[in-house]
This record gives sequence, C-alpha cells and structure tokens, in this order.
Amino acid sequence: MLKFMTAARAAASGLLAAAMVLFLAEAAAAQTLRMWGPEQLNDPEIAKLWNEIKADFEKRNPGVTVQYMQPTGTISNGAVQAAIQSDAGPDVLLTNSGIGRVGVVANAKLVQPLGAAYEKRGWKDRLHPWLYAELKRQFDGEIYEFPDGLDVIGLWYHKDVMTQKGWQVPQTYAQLLALFDEARKAGLQPLVVGPRNNASGGHLFGNLMQVTAGRDKVGEVVAGKRPWTDPAIVASAQRVIDLVERGALAKDMVALDLDAAARLFFTKRAAFMFAGPWFTSNARRAGYDLDKAGFMPLPVDPGQGESLPTGGVGWSWMVSAKSKQTDLALRWIDYIVSQEVMVKRATHASNWMVFPQALPGLQPSTPILKTIFDSANKGVGYNPSVYIPGNVVEAYLQAITGLVGGQVNAKDAMAGIQVQAERAARP
Amino acid sequence: MRTTTGTKADAVSSILFIGPALLIYGLFTLFPALDTLRLSATDATGLNSQANFVGLANFGALAADATVGRVLLQTAQWLVLHVVLAGGAGLAFAVAIASLARTHVFFRTAFFLPHVVSLAVVGVIWAKIYDPYFGLLNGALDAFGLGMLKLGWLSDPALVIFSVNVASSWQGFGIYMLLFVAGLQNIDNSLYEAAEIDGAGVWQRFRHVTIPGLREVMTFVVSLALINGLKGFATIWVMTQGGPFYRSELLTTYIVKLAFQFQEQGRAAALCVVLCALAMAITVAFNRWRESLR
Repeated sequence: MLKFMTAARAAASGLLAAAMVLFLAEAAAAQTLRMWGPEQLNDPEIAKLWNEIKADFEKRNPGVTVQYMQPTGTISNGAVQAAIQSDAGPDVLLTNSGIGRVGVVANAKLVQPLGAAYEKRGWKDRLHPWLYAELKRQFDGEIYEFPDGLDVIGLWYHKDVMTQKGWQVPQTYAQLLALFDEARKAGLQPLVVGPRNNASGGHLFGNLMQVTAGRDKVGEVVAGKRPWTDPAIVASAQRVIDLVERGALAKDMVALDLDAAARLFFTKRAAFMFAGPWFTSNARRAGYDLDKAGFMPLPVDPGQGESLPTGGVGWSWMVSAKSKQTDLALRWIDYIVSQEVMVKRATHASNWMVFPQALPGLQPSTPILKTIFDSANKGVGYNPSVYIPGNVVEAYLQAITGLVGGQVNAKDAMAGIQVQAERAARP
Repeated sequence: MRTTTGTKADAVSSILFIGPALLIYGLFTLFPALDTLRLSATDATGLNSQANFVGLANFGALAADATVGRVLLQTAQWLVLHVVLAGGAGLAFAVAIASLARTHVFFRTAFFLPHVVSLAVVGVIWAKIYDPYFGLLNGALDAFGLGMLKLGWLSDPALVIFSVNVASSWQGFGIYMLLFVAGLQNIDNSLYEAAEIDGAGVWQRFRHVTIPGLREVMTFVVSLALINGLKGFATIWVMTQGGPFYRSELLTTYIVKLAFQFQEQGRAAALCVVLCALAMAITVAFNRWRESLR
C-alpha cells in the first residue's frame, strides 16, 4: 500500500512537472502581434473581413495572437511617431504613406528598413514593376514600406449626362476646355473642387501638373531635384488661373471641402470632379448610381505632358523599429500581401482599394472600379500631396486656394512653395 | 506651547489642503509652461530625441518668417472682432432681457445654449451655413429676393476672418451675457428711477447709469474676451485651416502647423512664448488703462 502511495505520488509529481513544462513552453511560444490599423474597424462589414483575416493568420501560426490597435491619427499629425516611441506601440503598422510621410519616420529611424526582406521573401514580385522601381528610387535603394493600396486620381464624370447632352468623352485638353464651355452653357458647374480643408485642391493641381509638365518632371520636383518655379510647373499653376478666368472653375469653390464639392457632383450640378477610387464610398453614401459614373485621366494636347491618372502609394505596411518581433511582423506582411489575401480583400463588397499588384481575373464590385484598376495597371503620375514634406504640403495646398481664389499669380504661388521646399531640405 | 502646536497643526492641514491643487497645477500647468520655455531654446523636432540648445535662434527665425507678421496682424483683427462681436452681443442681449420679468430665465437659458456646443461642432455647422451653393445664408438671401447681397463668406479673403469670427462669437457670447446680467442685477434700481424723474431717455439712462454701473464687470469681460480671442483656434481649424491662402491664419493655428505639420517644435514653442507674452501684455495694458480712467 505504502509502495503504491509512493508510486502514485511520484507519478502525480511527474505529471505536474510535465504540465508545468508544457505550460511554460506554451507561454514562451505565445506571441502577440500588435498591429496599428486598419482605420475603418468601426464599420461592421470591414471589421468582419479583418477578423476573418486575423483568425486565419492565427490558425496558420499557432500560439500567435493578432491585436488590432485603433489608429489615433497618421504620420502627418504625429500620432504614428508617438505610438512607435511609446513602450506599448505596434509591431507592424498600416497607415497613410507616400514618400513625404514615410520619409519622416524613416529618417527618424522609427521604422525598419525592409530592403533585405524584399530580397529574401520575393516581395518585389508582388508589386507592379513600375511601383517597385518607384520605391527603389526614393531612399537611395532602401525601402521602408510595403504598399497596401494605391491612390489613382482622375476625372470623374456622369456618363448619363454626357449621353443626354450628346457630348463626347474628350480626347485632348482643348476638347475638355470646349466641353467645360458647353457644360457652363447648360447651367452646370463645369468642374468642381473642394480645397477648403483637405487635399481636393491637390487632386486638381497634381493632375494639371501631370498633363502640363509630365511624370518625370513632376517626379523631380517632388523629390526636390527641380524647383517649383520651373516654367513647366508655373505653367500648370497658370492653367488653374485660366480655368477660373474661363468660367470652368468658380472662385467661391475655395469655400468648399471635399464633401461639399462631392454634393455638387453627386446632385449632377457639376459635370466633372477629380477623385480617386475611394470616391465610390462617398457615392454609395450619397445614393449616387455608380453605373452612371465615368472615369478618365486628364487628357493632354498633342506634344504635351502625359495622360496618366495621378496618385501613388496611399497606404503602406511598415515595421516599427522598436518591435522585438520583427520576424513575426514580416510573416504578417508576407501573409497579408499574398495573392490569396489580396484577392479576398479586393473582392469584398466594401472594397474600393487599388492593390499594388496585378490581380488577374479580378472582378471589382462596380464597372467604375474596373476602369480605375485598369488605369493603374498602366502606371500613375504623382499626386504631390503625398510625396512632399508637411510644410511643403501646407504651402502647396494654400497656394492652390490662392490660385483658385485669384489671390496670387502663378509665379508667386510656386515661389511660395519653393521657399518651403528649401526650408525642408535644410538639415 | 499650545499656540506653537496649533500653528504647526494649522500649517500641516494647510499644506494638506493646498497640496493636491498645487500638485495638479504644477504638473499640468506650471511644468508644461516651463518645458515650453525650455523647448523654445532648442531645435526640437519631435523626432530627434536629443534636441540641441540654440539660444534665441528660434525667435530670430520667427522674426524673419513673413508668415508670422501676417499672422500677428490677423490675430489682432480676430481679437478686436471677438471683443466687439462676442462682448458686444453679450452686453446687448443682457440689457435686452434685463427688463423682462416672466420670460427672463427662458431667454437667458436660450441665449446661453450655444456656449455649451463644442467649438468644433460650431465650426462644422457654420461652414454649412456659409456654403456658397447649398448654404442656409445665401439660400435665405435668395429666397427673400436679396440675391445681390450673397457673398463668398469663406472664400472672400477680405471677409473670411469676419465670417469665422461671427461663428466663434455666436458660441462665446453667452458667458459674457451671463456676467453682464449679474452686473445689471447689482445696479441700484433707484438710480434709474432718479434718472427717469430727471427726464433721462433710454439712451441717456444706458449711457449714464448702466455703463458706469457695469464698469467692473466690463473690465473683467473685456479681459476675458481678449484672452479668449487670443486662444481662438477651433473654428478656424475646422472651417478654413487658415485659408484661403493664409488669410485666416492665426497665431494658434500657425503654432499647431509648426509643431505637428512642419515638425518644428522648437519654433512652435517660441511662438507659444510670444503668444503668452502678448496675452500678459495686453491684459496688463488694458487693466492699467482702466485704472487710469478712475
């Protein structure tokens, strides 16, 4: 009996020790990946999608828990920097990007360089070739982000209004100007913009720069290698003034924000508006029939610029320099940018994103999105708002309101931006 | 001996009572103020963990910044408009409802209501009122056949500060009105009766009885309005973000841009110091002027 008791006690002790070892091993293996974003988790549809993604990743990586952190802001307002610098910051981030913003956190060494991960994990092949080339150009060959979504900004119009009025989609800038005149005679606002407190003015001006100066020159300007006072850029600014003087753009539109401008467009009181794929979300909320929407890059006159939509990287994945789980963070990016997950996200009803890689056979939820996605396959020009530093963005957007409102001439407006560009370039 | 013990006990209890308030004041007011002063002498960007001492360089840079001159001028405009519009409306409404007997409380509450609305919300609402295409104001002018009076309330550079200030003053006048109402209640009614017997009209009673009777309240209201005016930020930020083309930029909005958009926190702190010095100088100068009139 005594022997049995001793053996039972030994067995129990052994089991307890084994359980302890297992528990400790499990605890040691358990990891929590803290992720900054996505921003729209308050939307039940979007939350459902992201919770499915999270559950799938956790299933494939036993012992890993993904914890979403609701973003409190962006790099532009310092929220991302504050979060990374705190001891409770994210391992991996999904936030608004573009070289202007990424440069802020990369130069401050708040995010990790990802060039090696691109090589080791074959990420290069998961991007449009033009996009990879663009990323390689930005930081002397190093890359600090993996693009999650692209912005593709072009000219939206009403297909039904065009048909009713017997108007043709313009093929040149001159034809577009003539159409603006027709629209004005028909009692419509030819072109609407909402520059009051957001980047809508930048959408207009970025497209005018693209068709006037061309992609390469604009790229040099936003990279600080060519001044804003370059004649081609001043000519773009003059085009804003010309549009106002022609009656294509009303001066009082400087009092409109994006929502107010969109209201003019969705109620068909305005014929054209510059916007991106995200505009489909605004359209749905406004009850606008997206089947009647058309999208085109701003056309060019022969021998001038290039007819490309503007945009570039809008949202990116980055890895915090303070993360102690770099490998896990990279595994997450590996997973999220896989074709399987991209297609899952792209075909979701809530999606309006233009993804950074070609997704063969993808059927977007509306024809307008297909048009926009297709135009991104051909490459996009620069939307300067996301490529230039904060102080230059401010001068840029103020200059556009000054041009539309008739407060400043083209040369002085561009000179004002150049002053800020030089200030930003100083060490 | 008992006296000494009593004094010590009094001192301890005084410290215990004052301590928490002093701690909170030190932590949330004094320390940030002193730290701002320190930051103003550094090249802090919010990103560099080791900001270098640069002496008065930030103040020199501000003096050379053309935007600062414009911003100071516009802040002065904003200040005057706030005192006149919000302070003036406060006085006018206080006098108007003072003579009401049964509906006094109703109107006092009704006119105070905008003050409980957040300035950011006020900005959103008034931006919609001023919308040139769908806005209530231009729409109403059209409806009453006054279309020729339609203006670009937020797009006209000469009008934008006034328009935003109206929104801000609409939110702010309620508190000044309450102060004036309290002041009016302290004026001896026999002074009005005597003035009336002497043949004084409404304007003369207002000029020679009400205004002198509100002297102390007015000093306080104007001081408060000057400080509140200098702090003007939310409505501008929501309605115009300083535009069009910087025509509604104020010291406060420029400070926020310098700190968080330009990442020049040293320079932003220097401008905070300037703002603080201005607030103190204006208040002291105003009070001295008031004293000199006694």
